[in-house]
Amino acid sequence: MANADVEAVDFEPEEDDLMDEDGAVDAEPSASPRAPLPKLKSAITGASASLSAPKKTKGRGFREDPNAERNTRLAVSDLDSLNASDGLEPQRSIEGWIILVTGIHEEAQEDDLQNVFGEFGEIKNLHLNLDRRTGFVKGYALIEYENFAEAQAAISRMDGDSILTQIVNVDWAFSNGSFLDGSKKKNPRQLRDRRSRSPPRRRF
Amino acid sequence: MAGEEENSEFYLRYYVGHKGKFGHEFLEFEFRPDGKLRYANNSNYKNDTIIRKEVYVTPAVVRECRRIITESEIMKEDDQNWPEPDRIGRQELEIVMGNEHISFTTSKIGSLVDVQGSKDPEGLRIFYYLVQDLKCFVFSLISLHFKIKPI
Repeated sequence: MANADVEAVDFEPEEDDLMDEDGAVDAEPSASPRAPLPKLKSAITGASASLSAPKKTKGRGFREDPNAERNTRLAVSDLDSLNASDGLEPQRSIEGWIILVTGIHEEAQEDDLQNVFGEFGEIKNLHLNLDRRTGFVKGYALIEYENFAEAQAAISRMDGDSILTQIVNVDWAFSNGSFLDGSKKKNPRQLRDRRSRSPPRRRF
Repeated sequence: MAGEEENSEFYLRYYVGHKGKFGHEFLEFEFRPDGKLRYANNSNYKNDTIIRKEVYVTPAVVRECRRIITESEIMKEDDQNWPEPDRIGRQELEIVMGNEHISFTTSKIGSLVDVQGSKDPEGLRIFYYLVQDLKCFVFSLISLHFKIKPI
């Protein structure tokens, strides 16, 4: 489907190395003692192992595992994360600051957003994606400003305000760190509520 | 930003790919419970390339992703009568929301004709559109953040 026409944009020569590292880097050591689940479960063991209630599972993915390597497919070096660190702050993107607008009226047009959000600075990019089934607006937009202050102003002014009679929420799209406490194993907390700094992300 | 819903667990992973004469070509992305969005796209067509990207998204982005999934009602579906993955390719959709965990697999779906001709057109249609909406969301996030063209 989609990857029939994949286009080469980036090049990572160290694929094999990255895959080898993945186990050490990414695998949470707390494998669930419960019934054997597909490998892919490990991606979420950090959180799920702490939950007492058993999950209602459904799907063939639970009775077959032909893709044992799936955990390594997404392995990535730290270099590819933009400054993932331990604070919870908006993350700058390559060319600017991206905000997410949600609650957008399904009949909204790009111009409606341009008019409202252009007030806070020049919009470098605007994605107003459509519902693939209905063809109407899906309900969110991603907007890029060049400067932090412009994006911040858009968030401050428009979050909770209305566009086309509908209340919208506006927030940053990217964060420079996890919104769970970095050392969470049992009780994930919002990062902003934590009492002390957790150790910096493991580098190796 | 903080709200009840963010405390309930969330995980999403989508994979589509096949193994053929250009090796293992696939596209995969996942939203991890801590907000990390990971994206990988591998094609060996013409020249060896692999794209791997990851970035943390805010709870607002995760919330929107959850909304898209919830409104699709995919969690009510079952892949039992969907076409099995085959030599042409496979798709996997794994979602954890609250205490529900689905892990669906099926073949690639070329178009709605494939959906209509299947044994579970209603369910497969929901899957078909949800996957497109999710890909659309993720591609926007990735392309805006990294300034790459995902496909």
